[in-house]
Amino acid sequence: MSGLSVPETAQHPSLGQDPRAEPQTGSTDWGMMGRQLWGVLRIELRYSLFSRRFLAVAFLALAPVGLLILWALTPVAKEIAGGGSTQAMSMAAWIYAGYLSTSVFLSALILFMSLFRGDILQRSLHYYFLSPVRRQILVLGKFLAAWIAGAVTFATSTALIYLLCFLPLGLSGLSRHLFQGPGLGHLMIYAGISVLAIGGYGCIFLLAGLFLRNPVVAGVLIFGWESINFFLPALLKKLSVIFYLQSFYPVPPPQELFAIVAEPISPWLTVPGLLLFMVALLALASWRAQRMEINYGED
Amino acid sequence: MTMTTSNQPTTELSTPDRIAAHQSIVFDNVSKFYGEVLGVNRVTLTLPPGITGLVGPNGSGKTTLMNLMTGLLRPTDGTIRVLGESPSAGQHLFRHLGYCTQFDAFPAGMTGYQFIYSFLRVHGLAHTEADSLTWQALERVNLKDAAKRRVEGYSKGMRQRARLAQAISHQPKVLVLDEPLNGLDPMARAEVIALFQQLAAEGCHIIISSHILHEVDMISDQVVLLSSGYVVADGDVSGMRTEIHEHPIQVLMRCDKPSLVASRLFEHDFVVEASLHDDRRGLMIRTREADRFYGLLNSIIVDNDIDVETVTVADGDVNAVYKYLIGNEGEGR
Repeated sequence: MSGLSVPETAQHPSLGQDPRAEPQTGSTDWGMMGRQLWGVLRIELRYSLFSRRFLAVAFLALAPVGLLILWALTPVAKEIAGGGSTQAMSMAAWIYAGYLSTSVFLSALILFMSLFRGDILQRSLHYYFLSPVRRQILVLGKFLAAWIAGAVTFATSTALIYLLCFLPLGLSGLSRHLFQGPGLGHLMIYAGISVLAIGGYGCIFLLAGLFLRNPVVAGVLIFGWESINFFLPALLKKLSVIFYLQSFYPVPPPQELFAIVAEPISPWLTVPGLLLFMVALLALASWRAQRMEINYGED
Repeated sequence: MTMTTSNQPTTELSTPDRIAAHQSIVFDNVSKFYGEVLGVNRVTLTLPPGITGLVGPNGSGKTTLMNLMTGLLRPTDGTIRVLGESPSAGQHLFRHLGYCTQFDAFPAGMTGYQFIYSFLRVHGLAHTEADSLTWQALERVNLKDAAKRRVEGYSKGMRQRARLAQAISHQPKVLVLDEPLNGLDPMARAEVIALFQQLAAEGCHIIISSHILHEVDMISDQVVLLSSGYVVADGDVSGMRTEIHEHPIQVLMRCDKPSLVASRLFEHDFVVEASLHDDRRGLMIRTREADRFYGLLNSIIVDNDIDVETVTVADGDVNAVYKYLIGNEGEGR
């Protein structure tokens, strides 16, 4: 090994002007914060899209697509085709309701719960904590990366599922439904619900990963709560994400047996409400991250 | 020597003292408890620029003190200022502080280059500057050739150098190094020590922890001796130096030609003992003069093209020296 060399350009900041000097106190350097956010995003996007946990998410997103392709080849599919696009729309709503409460929910759990908990278990969280990045930006960067990965994956798979529901109508029937009927609008709404669902559930699981040593227990409890939502009284229904998401459905899914029906909330209130809910949870997550210490021994 | 310690909290500072505090690292009556377990207790300490060695046996509170000054831990009691900044304000502190931790974990899948470059992007640097500083840091720790390899595949010494490169990559004014020489072979050790000395000469504060007394003695301008969470000695290192030189140190080495190394070492009177391990790769050496020993070992390794696996100091003898140095102060706390 040759001796350690010191490049001539490597000059300590104390010897000259530091180009990375902080902004004057009292001012907020939004440009710097934007670059830091991008710095976090580029690392986290890589983990969200090219990691083992994403394989599980991709499976959950694509398994229903595979099952629908197989279904399209069965005689039952031909019966649906006989019922026309109205029957196919009901079926799409029914399938989407199941897809939302299982695939989308579980994927949000996988993607978001490990954002901080995974770094703690791998003992690598100090990588971020040793940099001059505000913890709020760290929380936002991690959340956005997982949301982007989830949104792209589930918007795509939602679109595929919707299209496959109409495949038994034939290509001409599908084309008519999409471009001369309400199909394209419905497809966009379902994809939008998936994107909102990933973000809404994601905030909850991000927070659980920050507060709990074993957030999977919280995940199971929330899954149970969301699953029995149809059975809950009207007031309690409103304490769930699924209730607000259902108000967007272009075609109401068939109600479960013994379901208690609550008056749906206008989408004009639901979207800002859900976004406000996400902001509030992210603020709480930032507060928690700000108070975190690195003491891996405890975990 | 300007380093001060006491068990009493500091009082109001005069203007010159305040200016000095902005150029120093100040602990004021700092305690840290992990539940009921003591980390450090009532530490009042001012560390001036230069190289400060934190020494003490394992569990004495060195890492806790370092984690406190870098904000990774919060004190249970007391206050800390690093060049006038509170460690809790990481967005300010880490612009001029680098910390080489002992945590041997890296974000998964990153190459050596990505490890440093991504860190600098999180700092908020643009691509060109981050790229340039990354290569400079890798060059400084001699890791340029392995830059495109994944860190998971690095040897322990290379991982240590990667962490060091990360700590110095943004050219900080304060460098906190937790056992930075662990896992390095003798030549890399000498090179890294030279790098620390050069950074200190450039005006950098360097706080270095080690349980290997002679290493700290060799490079430090001032020393803080810790035992069981308390600062038990600081400042004058002459007594410590004499003691270190009088106690033979025991070095364990693993390499491909231990017999050859032993025979070469025995030609010198400062090597007291050298014995081979049964597996024919291990060698235990006792020496009275660590500096001369390491210089000699380096030349033997280079001259004979020896493949070195590890070189470590055995803790037993070090603890004996600590016991002598700490004496009654370390007991009965």
